[in-house]
Amino acid sequence: MSAAVLPAPAVALASLSARELAHRYSPRRGLEPVSFEIEAPGVAAVTGPNGSGKSTLLRIVAGLLRPNRGACALRIGGREIERGARRLSVGLATPELSFYDEFTVGENLMFAAQTQGLADPRGRVRESLERVGLWVRVGDRADALSSGMRQRLRLAFALLHRPPVLLLDEPGSHLDEAGRLMVARVVREQGERGLVLIATNDERERTLAGRTIELRGRGLGDPD
Amino acid sequence: MPGERSSSVGAVWAILIKECRGEWRTRYGLNSALLFAVTTLTAVSFVVGRIGERTDILAALLWIVLMFAALASLAHTFVREVEGHTLTLLRMIASPTSIALGKLIFNLLFLGVLEAVTVPLFLVLMGGPPLHWARFLEVLGLGSLALAAAATLVGAVIAQTRGRGALFAAVSLPILLPVMAGAVSGTRGQWNGVPVDAELRLLAAYAAALLGMSLVLYDHLWED
Repeated sequence: MSAAVLPAPAVALASLSARELAHRYSPRRGLEPVSFEIEAPGVAAVTGPNGSGKSTLLRIVAGLLRPNRGACALRIGGREIERGARRLSVGLATPELSFYDEFTVGENLMFAAQTQGLADPRGRVRESLERVGLWVRVGDRADALSSGMRQRLRLAFALLHRPPVLLLDEPGSHLDEAGRLMVARVVREQGERGLVLIATNDERERTLAGRTIELRGRGLGDPD
Repeated sequence: MPGERSSSVGAVWAILIKECRGEWRTRYGLNSALLFAVTTLTAVSFVVGRIGERTDILAALLWIVLMFAALASLAHTFVREVEGHTLTLLRMIASPTSIALGKLIFNLLFLGVLEAVTVPLFLVLMGGPPLHWARFLEVLGLGSLALAAAATLVGAVIAQTRGRGALFAAVSLPILLPVMAGAVSGTRGQWNGVPVDAELRLLAAYAAALLGMSLVLYDHLWED
């Protein structure tokens, strides 16, 4: 299977900062205040115990969630991207991302590409599927995919619009060794051109990152 | 990256095509709506026979059948995204307004197909005076627009709530009462040969108000 030819690498001037960023779903669930500042190019790992708010942080950065406290600013080329427009600059692969079962892999991504208004949507679909090694399943219905293939499809979806910022929530889950190597390759490529945030507790994924943002939420271990 | 403005029309179109393709493949909404309409009309015609000249009963019965046949399916356009966990995907590729407009236009087309089957069947089974087609189609069109706008708005609002089935009925019924009043009165009026300008103005104004309110509200939907 051949990897897609990537566009010439151009480093995106992206930066992400959080100041006392916090979110509460309930008194004992959510993201404890966290502050950080990271700039492209680079890869950062978000770590912390289960329930410490890793996925919540990624949802806030993606603009899907309005934080209760603090501020989160994403800047591309020095210009701050408002929350509602972040989807144009951010690619998100998260376990809660599902696809339309009645559509094929290719149709799901074509729908996403056309909705995003991408130029050459067919080319983009092929490119992103080849990058994650799923082009051979382009005609399969989404509900016929294994959990590992669904994970690859999530990654292809996140890469579809060549975003300068990539947010990966436990990207290696359900993947075999070849899949994990593919994730490592994609993270390295994206990390050279933009910003990648990986929410993970997997040691191998942590080593892909140049820096770590450790969340100190209470998780499941300390309910008091 | 696509421009926000230029991608909006394309996004609405892509979502509309996705809705049509999904409905064509599953036929979940259309089959149940048509089954309800045909069963209800057949049952009523068996019990009471042709209603003939009672235009007040004819008009009320027509709109009751249309409303109840359509409502569950119209609300389902959003509920399906929540239950299939595809809302995150949608939110990452389109603005809430684009999503809602795509679904509103789909709901209008859905109503058109439903009416294309239900109205002729109703006229055959129930009888009634000759239609004043131009007036009748105006009432039907504006009534459908208001019905679709109300159902889409309520469907979007209640999609992520618990007990959304009961909530949809409770919230949509008071919103739909003016639509039903105007549509029933207009339909009866055209059969009786009296002017229906007031009813048409009511339906047009109500549909415009619902659409305006929707455009304001949609961008604030789905804030976690």
